[in-house]
Amino acid sequence: MPHGSLLIEFATAVIEGDANERARTREMLHRTLGPAALVDAAAVVASFNAVVKIADATGIPLEDYKAAATADLRHQLGLDRLER
Amino acid sequence: MTTAPAPTGSSATLLPAALAHAMRPALAYERERAWHRLASAGTWFSGEQRLAIAAESRRAVQCKLCRTRKEALSPYQVDGAHDSLGQIDPPLVEVVHRVTTDAGRVTRRWIESLLERGLPDTHYVEAIGIVAVITALDTFDRALDLPQRPLPAPIAGAPIRSRPPGAQRNLAWVPTVAPDALTPTDLNAFSVHGDKNIHRALSLVPQEVLTFFDLDVELYLKDQQIRDFDHEFRALSHAQMELVAGRVSSLNGCYY
Repeated sequence: MPHGSLLIEFATAVIEGDANERARTREMLHRTLGPAALVDAAAVVASFNAVVKIADATGIPLEDYKAAATADLRHQLGLDRLER
Repeated sequence: MTTAPAPTGSSATLLPAALAHAMRPALAYERERAWHRLASAGTWFSGEQRLAIAAESRRAVQCKLCRTRKEALSPYQVDGAHDSLGQIDPPLVEVVHRVTTDAGRVTRRWIESLLERGLPDTHYVEAIGIVAVITALDTFDRALDLPQRPLPAPIAGAPIRSRPPGAQRNLAWVPTVAPDALTPTDLNAFSVHGDKNIHRALSLVPQEVLTFFDLDVELYLKDQQIRDFDHEFRALSHAQMELVAGRVSSLNGCYY
């Protein structure tokens, strides 16, 4: 994955990091991938930091086709045992 | 439409002009529209009430009770009072604070207890939509080191107070509308962005579906673009975007 580590560091810094870590990863991403990629990375972080609240606060289930596609993985990880 | 001061960067190496140039016009437009909608009357809340909910969501990140609950193995065993701005009713404060700070551990039982205390399910759903929108807007600004925007002034108007008659509690923990249960008088929440389960989540208050996803499709991708692997729509590839999305979802403990 091109620049995968940098993108993960940036996403992590935005969600959990302090201002220094956000600045460090933001500037590395800007220098490496350019301003448009930085804006788009920030936008994806924003989207998924928000949509999670809708999913979690309404208890909306996975669609059947997604559940079927991930059945083995969820079984291996024991996720189906988790009940809220 | 309400406007906010032009973004100004505090980073020494990342000039605001570069950001402004890199901002897709559709994304810039939807950000402004989302701010406008936050300040406007919704379906069950006035503009003033919607902004109070947004302000309370911002407040929640400093709340001692929320911090203690977040660190607790059993967050529902931790009692106390929220550090609230005092502008909205206590059950709604509980909703806004918990969903803002610990949404991954929301339970069906908790929602039912709030409804039993008299919070209408419609108000719960609209509040979730407001929290999601202010979270998206503020996260985007924080990611780019833009200053947090002051909340705009409320826009006069009355909520429309319309509940879709076909809403049923048969999919999620809150009533939702199935596409085939729409009536001619309903605002169709699915006509623009689709009718996947995540679109149905807020469909008890159809305007909230549109308000959130009008913004979200510019932050992320339109539904038909998500699996169109023959084309790239952003400066990041599909794979890079999914990596970022997966990391954020993981940090949030999102099951969806």
